[in-house]
Amino acid sequence: MIRIAAVGDIHMGPDTRGVLRPAFETLPECADLLLLAGDLTRHGTVEEARVVADEIRGLGVPVVAVLGNHDHHDDRPDEVTAVLRDAGAHVLEGEAAVVRAGDARVGVAGTKGFGGGFVGASAGEFGEPVMKEFVRLSRRCADGLRTSLERLEEEGCDVRVALTHYSPVPETLAGEPLEIYPFLGSYLLAEAIDTAGADLAVHGHAHAGTEHGMTTGGVKVRNVAQPVIGRAFHVYHLPVRERVSAGSGTEASTA
Amino acid sequence: MNTHDAGSAGGPPAGQGAEYRVAHLQDRLASGELGELGVRAEVRGGTVLVTGTVPSARCREDVLSTVREELAGLEVHCDIVVSEPSSPDHAEELS
Repeated sequence: MIRIAAVGDIHMGPDTRGVLRPAFETLPECADLLLLAGDLTRHGTVEEARVVADEIRGLGVPVVAVLGNHDHHDDRPDEVTAVLRDAGAHVLEGEAAVVRAGDARVGVAGTKGFGGGFVGASAGEFGEPVMKEFVRLSRRCADGLRTSLERLEEEGCDVRVALTHYSPVPETLAGEPLEIYPFLGSYLLAEAIDTAGADLAVHGHAHAGTEHGMTTGGVKVRNVAQPVIGRAFHVYHLPVRERVSAGSGTEASTA
Repeated sequence: MNTHDAGSAGGPPAGQGAEYRVAHLQDRLASGELGELGVRAEVRGGTVLVTGTVPSARCREDVLSTVREELAGLEVHCDIVVSEPSSPDHAEELS
């Protein structure tokens, strides 16, 4: 069994320094890894990223993160990423990381993702340049997620998790106004997950949404936005279908 | 718990113009220095209901201050809570 801790939308800044650290320090007792589903900062500043870095440095479990829209607001996503990586986190955008949990290999494919909406009410690549770019960005994110999940399959990971900030399904948005669904996620992410396969999909972004959902292809989806889960993180116990015999510990590598 | 009347007591009920003021409030909360997209304001009958979860007590005070400024004179009910930073007491078993 893999124990996956996850939270998104912690929106940290100087006034919340140290708030999550006491809970995070309990992670080695209850989880094999921590997933951060974006919106880790409030405005995407380097100063805020340093607060997050101090919160997650040396936790004793691998940390795998994606950025969210807030982490892009100051137009410094690369610097934010560098600060988090310096603290030991894997920060993914169209990439994958493999971490060890006991003798199992856990693959995490990550992208921020983007909006566009869901089947029957989605935006098309048509019209003004900005509209076309909106949809193209969503498609690029989904393509990156799919290829990363496929790579993890080729590498023979025991468990594969899709980590995004935007939602792949409308079900976990229940509670948000219907009118803003196209800004909260895209079916392209779910299509990527169902095409490549995954054991779990984790996202944030929708503060007023719902924790539980599922893709059309039957992959469980969890909205771990902190306002939704009402805790510092939630833990999911995922069964391992096929165990490998090699190695143990929490040694990690980025694929 | 965590409710706050940000409007002046006995202020006039929210009227037709309130919708635009609420829209401007949302825009200011999101685009201004607070960068707050998780707070929702809605006209409900004669009052404006403001709900959401914010990361700190200071952030909550900043939001309330902006709400008071933008919706001055309107009857407002604020129900903004601060995020809970405690560890979970159970895990979910996924089959």
